[in-house]
Amino acid sequence: MRGPAKPKTDAALETSIPYSELPLESILCTEELHHRHSRPPDYEKENRALVKLVSTLAESPSTILQTLSETILDITQCDSAGLSLLTNDGKTPDVCGKSFYWPAIAGMWGPHVGGGTPRNFGPCGDVLDQNRTLLFRHFERRYPYLLPVIPAAEECLLVPFYVAGEAVGTIWAIMHSDRRKFDAEDDRVMASLGKFASSAYQALIRIEDLKFQVSEREKAEAEVRELARGLEAKIRRLVEANVVGIVMWNLEGAITGANEAFLRMVQYDREDLASGRVRWTDLTPAEWRGHDERAVAQLKATGIFQPFEKEYFRKDGGRVSVLLGGALFEGSGNEGVAFVLDLSEQKRAERALRRSEAFLAEGQHLSQIGSFSWRVATDEITWSEQLYRIYELEIGVPVTLELIRTRVHPEDVSLIEKMKMVGQASDGGNDFEWQYRLMMPDHSLKYMHAVAHATRDQDGQLEYIAVVQDVTARRLTEEARDKARSELAHVARVMSLGTLTASIAHELNQPLSGIVTNASTCMRMLATDPPNVDGARETARRTIRDGNRASDVIARLRALFSNRGAMTESVDLNEATREVLALSSTEIQQNRVILRAELADDLPPVTGDRVQLQQVILNLLRNASDAMSGVDDRPRQIVIRTGLDDGDCIRLSVQDSGVGFEAPIPDKLFDAFYTTKSGGMGIGLSVSRSIIESHRGRIWAARNDGPGVTFAFSVPRGRLGEEPARRNL
Amino acid sequence: MVSRSLVTVVDDDESVRESLPDMLKELGFAVEAFASAEEFLASDCIDKTKCLILDIAMPGMSGPDLQRELTRRRQEIPIVFITAHADETIRPRVLAQGAVECLFKPFSETELLEAIHATLRTR
Repeated sequence: MRGPAKPKTDAALETSIPYSELPLESILCTEELHHRHSRPPDYEKENRALVKLVSTLAESPSTILQTLSETILDITQCDSAGLSLLTNDGKTPDVCGKSFYWPAIAGMWGPHVGGGTPRNFGPCGDVLDQNRTLLFRHFERRYPYLLPVIPAAEECLLVPFYVAGEAVGTIWAIMHSDRRKFDAEDDRVMASLGKFASSAYQALIRIEDLKFQVSEREKAEAEVRELARGLEAKIRRLVEANVVGIVMWNLEGAITGANEAFLRMVQYDREDLASGRVRWTDLTPAEWRGHDERAVAQLKATGIFQPFEKEYFRKDGGRVSVLLGGALFEGSGNEGVAFVLDLSEQKRAERALRRSEAFLAEGQHLSQIGSFSWRVATDEITWSEQLYRIYELEIGVPVTLELIRTRVHPEDVSLIEKMKMVGQASDGGNDFEWQYRLMMPDHSLKYMHAVAHATRDQDGQLEYIAVVQDVTARRLTEEARDKARSELAHVARVMSLGTLTASIAHELNQPLSGIVTNASTCMRMLATDPPNVDGARETARRTIRDGNRASDVIARLRALFSNRGAMTESVDLNEATREVLALSSTEIQQNRVILRAELADDLPPVTGDRVQLQQVILNLLRNASDAMSGVDDRPRQIVIRTGLDDGDCIRLSVQDSGVGFEAPIPDKLFDAFYTTKSGGMGIGLSVSRSIIESHRGRIWAARNDGPGVTFAFSVPRGRLGEEPARRNL
Repeated sequence: MVSRSLVTVVDDDESVRESLPDMLKELGFAVEAFASAEEFLASDCIDKTKCLILDIAMPGMSGPDLQRELTRRRQEIPIVFITAHADETIRPRVLAQGAVECLFKPFSETELLEAIHATLRTR
């Protein structure tokens, strides 16, 4: 049975101790030792015991405490003997301990080994406090927690012992009955054994220390072994995975071992390797030997060499590019290991990249496209070579805003300036297109079309990537085309002049007739007696009115048939339509056509060329009129309408009740020189389509539910100052 | 008192309907003016009209259409056609249909007076 006083924890022990008011003195009888009859010393027995203790200490130090207990039992002829040592954990000695434990007990209390007592309230504590031998009688009377430790102690002789002057524990002897009482001789012997106990304690501590050291070392060794096993496994996996080539070598040039990956790289096999034919010195082409020599020098100096690129000969005489790095084995001085990475794929990729870059440069050159990047935060601008060529600047000169400004047309905004504006307006990050001009030192002009893409680099900084195309050739072509189209439109107008002669004559003859008639009447009224002055004034007023009417007709004709370039202005399509109707209504009426105009109120203006749009209206009206020339079985009717169209556009349609088209409407209807009229040239609709498309609109024809066709066009409602080509992506 | 002959003008052009009647009144005629053939046909002037001055090209019923309609109704009113159109081939065609004269605008007072007198003579 274990002693019930064995502490679970110090705190538990403290709280579990019943309070006793019995004073210490009442359980002490130390003074009696010297009054009792003392037995004679038995030095022989004592010497034998000490010899046994010493030899135990030398041969089996771990059992010294038990031997000591048994020695006390033997020499003092007591019933129980043992040691109490200060401890903190209840099982190992500790001079700062807060309780005592019993590491060894001989005799009747043997079963209580491992038990103990508190430091501050118990017999051992009393001995250490008084720093002398004490004799107790029935100490359980003061320390009731010892009551369950049976058999009860009649007398207990306790002796402190010391290490380096510090009390660390006690030895004790107990009599459970009064068959004999401790005396002065016991006091002497115990004091003597107390000294020995000190040596035994130190031996024990050393043993514990050694045990600890051994266990720590074993633990460390186990960790190292585990690490080594893991490392070895990893290295083995690396070697066997053949992801990289691994080579064992010596400085003489031999390859003593290699994995499959390396052998594959150089096209040798295991047999070649075993024969010793594969030597790294032989595998190295002459021009790479200098690199090898530098690596060897590094190895000798530092034990490792930094990875470097080189080539090896393969078995078939070809070469393989590799990255090589390695180290000497520790303590070898001659042998080492290296990893070898096959760079063939990387080299191929590099060649492909160089080729691709060359293609890009050539492509940029051919398409007159340059590119650049601009890091907004640092103002760092990088140009492609082609962009230097387009700007006619020396390739590689640092690009600055000032330099760019020397080339950009003074009236235009450069791309980077535009980027800054867009960036400020939108907090950066907008993609957009931009057109501007360059003015070269010889004052020749170049037209640029740029597309910029906003992106963020890995640090989140705004960066624009832009391509800039030299569109000068295209621009000049467009200008030439516009001029040609304008001239063609003029030709078409002049051709229509012939057919409009009757209409024009009618428009002029009406006011001329008024002038002649009114003037004659006026003369006649003035000739009467008395002269009819009021009547004469009225007819004179009409004469002036009709004169103005004639001059309006002439002005309209002049505008319509003059050959002048396209103009961009705000055009009221209703007004433009009315003017066309005024010029052409006679011709239409002559064809016995009933013309109805349904012009929408509050029609927004469009931006465009008024005369060109009027020509389209005129063409559509004349086509409609012509289409009905053979119609006699139904009214010849034209309805011209204006109104809003989908998508912010203005639509004008001309509906006739003519012969129409067989389904489907011919695809070529708007092509040049396609005509369905016997006398037509096929220019009108083609010119009309050109005009409408140049107004960013569309023109189409659709068959009516009833007889005839409706031609219509739709153009965007305009905002002056808007340039058709400019738009934000 | 000799009642004045009624000369009726049919023309869609307002300025003609203003200026021509004034002149004819100065010349001593009674004048009525209509903006279309349909208005004239609907009026009570047909029987009283001694001379019809008729525009050729008009929206709806044209001058020649009215001429045909009057013939169909057996209303024999002498007609002087007037036109602002330059196509002279129209003249022989309307004369063949029974018109007394065809004047091209602008015409003089004398030309008009002669043509009216010619119509009155046909009565």
